[in-house]
Amino acid sequence: MTKKFDQFAGVAFLLIGLLFLIESQKISDSAYGSSVGPKIFPMWLGIILMGLSIRLLYETFKYKKEGSEKEQLQYKKFFIIFGSALLYAFFLEKIGYIVSTFAFLLVAFQTVERGKIINSVLIAAVFSFGVYYLFAGLLGGSLPGFPLF
Amino acid sequence: MDTLQFLVEGFKLAFQWHNILFAFVGVVIGTAVGVLPGIGPMSGVALLIPVTATITSGMPASAAAASSIILLAGVYYGAMYGGSTTSILLNTPGESSSVVTTLDGYQMAQQGRAGAALAISAIGSFCAGIISLIGLVLLAEPLSNIAIKFGPAEYFSLMLLGLAAVSGLAGKSMTKALMMTVFGLMLGTIGIDAVSGIARFTYDQPLLYSGLEFLTIAVGLFALGEVVKTILEKDKESGAIAKIHRILPTKQDMKDSAVPIVRGSLLGFFIGVLPGAGATLASFFSYTTEKKFSKNPEKFGKGHIAGVAGPESANNAASGGAMIPLLTLGIPGSGTTAILMGALIMYNIQPGPLLFDEHPEVAWGLIASMFLGNLMLLILNMPLVRVFAKIIQTPKKYLLPMIIAISFFGVYAVQYTTFDLYLLIGCGILGYLLSKNDFPVAPLVLALVLGPMIENNLRRALTISNGDFGIFFAKPLSLVFIVGAAAWLLVPLILKFKGRQIIINEED
Repeated sequence: MTKKFDQFAGVAFLLIGLLFLIESQKISDSAYGSSVGPKIFPMWLGIILMGLSIRLLYETFKYKKEGSEKEQLQYKKFFIIFGSALLYAFFLEKIGYIVSTFAFLLVAFQTVERGKIINSVLIAAVFSFGVYYLFAGLLGGSLPGFPLF
Repeated sequence: MDTLQFLVEGFKLAFQWHNILFAFVGVVIGTAVGVLPGIGPMSGVALLIPVTATITSGMPASAAAASSIILLAGVYYGAMYGGSTTSILLNTPGESSSVVTTLDGYQMAQQGRAGAALAISAIGSFCAGIISLIGLVLLAEPLSNIAIKFGPAEYFSLMLLGLAAVSGLAGKSMTKALMMTVFGLMLGTIGIDAVSGIARFTYDQPLLYSGLEFLTIAVGLFALGEVVKTILEKDKESGAIAKIHRILPTKQDMKDSAVPIVRGSLLGFFIGVLPGAGATLASFFSYTTEKKFSKNPEKFGKGHIAGVAGPESANNAASGGAMIPLLTLGIPGSGTTAILMGALIMYNIQPGPLLFDEHPEVAWGLIASMFLGNLMLLILNMPLVRVFAKIIQTPKKYLLPMIIAISFFGVYAVQYTTFDLYLLIGCGILGYLLSKNDFPVAPLVLALVLGPMIENNLRRALTISNGDFGIFFAKPLSLVFIVGAAAWLLVPLILKFKGRQIIINEED
């Protein structure tokens, strides 16, 4: 896993370095008379990152073979929570803080561990209402409250 | 005004009722963060930045900064107290800096001496906190007087030293640590260039003009990264929590641990002052030192109280020592201090030599509040340790989604953009992938904070010298820093080449 990931990361960071190097050339020179404009720093960072990535790729060839111990990852739980987090971010401004937070928490609580639905509903409700009223009511912060329809 | 007078002013500020409250809330949350294995001091501090920012929003800028930094620093050193609790009771360290405490602490708990171990670690942490604060008070003025003479060249080299130190010690592979550092510096260049006002890597996206928000990235990488890890990886069954019988240590315990506490405090303090070497390294060093000095080293690992007292004092002293480079030089030495620095910058307060001149109330208020906070922690940790031990039992079911929700709230309340929420989720997954594969994320955050400052000083220095890089070697102090930076990176390599084992610093 690590070797594979390191090779992938090496290539990815090599490309990022290259991207910075190329893109930094498009930054226009600064108007005032310094020889060191805004493009020098990112350009060198790009070059150094490329150098380090090549070094990492070289190192991966020397890795010893690892015993393949497969870890049991709980992908299903992760993807459900990841997906609902994305939806939460997407809907936060549209349907308001309270509704979206309540929904997200309820789904996430039940995904991590099923059961005790009443407790989950209660905690999610207390959290979403509590945070909103403490923040928007008491402290005068601003959050999108309820859906605007 | 002399130091004492400033300190008195600081205490006046720290004793304002709302600041006492802030310090109290900080240390309580810090202890909880220390007890919970999932959240470290870094994510704890990062998560609280937006909350404190909102609470203090009505105050004038520098009073607000003082109050929030009092709270945030309280989380930092409070976590050092709390970290020992789980190490002793459960054999699972709450923080990486409490890993060595498990060796003797858990053994003591098995022998029914959990209370004594907990009490000694609280007392040791308190002594260490006070010793490191005295060091901070004594060193702050002289150091900032030296630092005020620094030009851009010296600053650039000093920051280079800081980055080199963190990369040299972080994680298993230095190549990976350096990659993370450079990547962090790169992310820091996104946005409007502060010197010339030219937009870089923004691709006409208005969202990117102000650069990537440091808070979003820090919360994502640390707090969410940790959540992703806990969701994905099945947790191992944790053992039963040891019972606490009596809290007060016996006279013999006190006698056995007095010297280790003092030794650990001094050692930890000096390690903390060094950039890059944090609390984790300090506790490891203290443990090996105690073993070396002990008359009967075979007792270590079997429930010897010195093996708890030394390291626990050291990690607390290190967290105090780490404040010195942050406050006097404006250079954070570890991930957590980098986040504290980011918080200060959010309030438009630049840590560094000028801090003591321009905002003495922030610097001295913080120092004074740390005296107060340490006292509170001692009181909190002795009788209430049973209550805190209960926090371990918080079901993950509710904890994990709530951490996500708090990060969302925090980031949104500061940034007000959905873009930052997506960035947050992305950073969470990235943080998990990176740290799982030994890419340390602490250097990335540090580099992201330091990046714009490094670049500005580099360009200022080069403008002074007309583009001649010799300026960094011509100035004696700058040369010393550069040589130091090179040494941080080269010495471990040479040691490794000789086949020596080197201690590495896990994130803290």
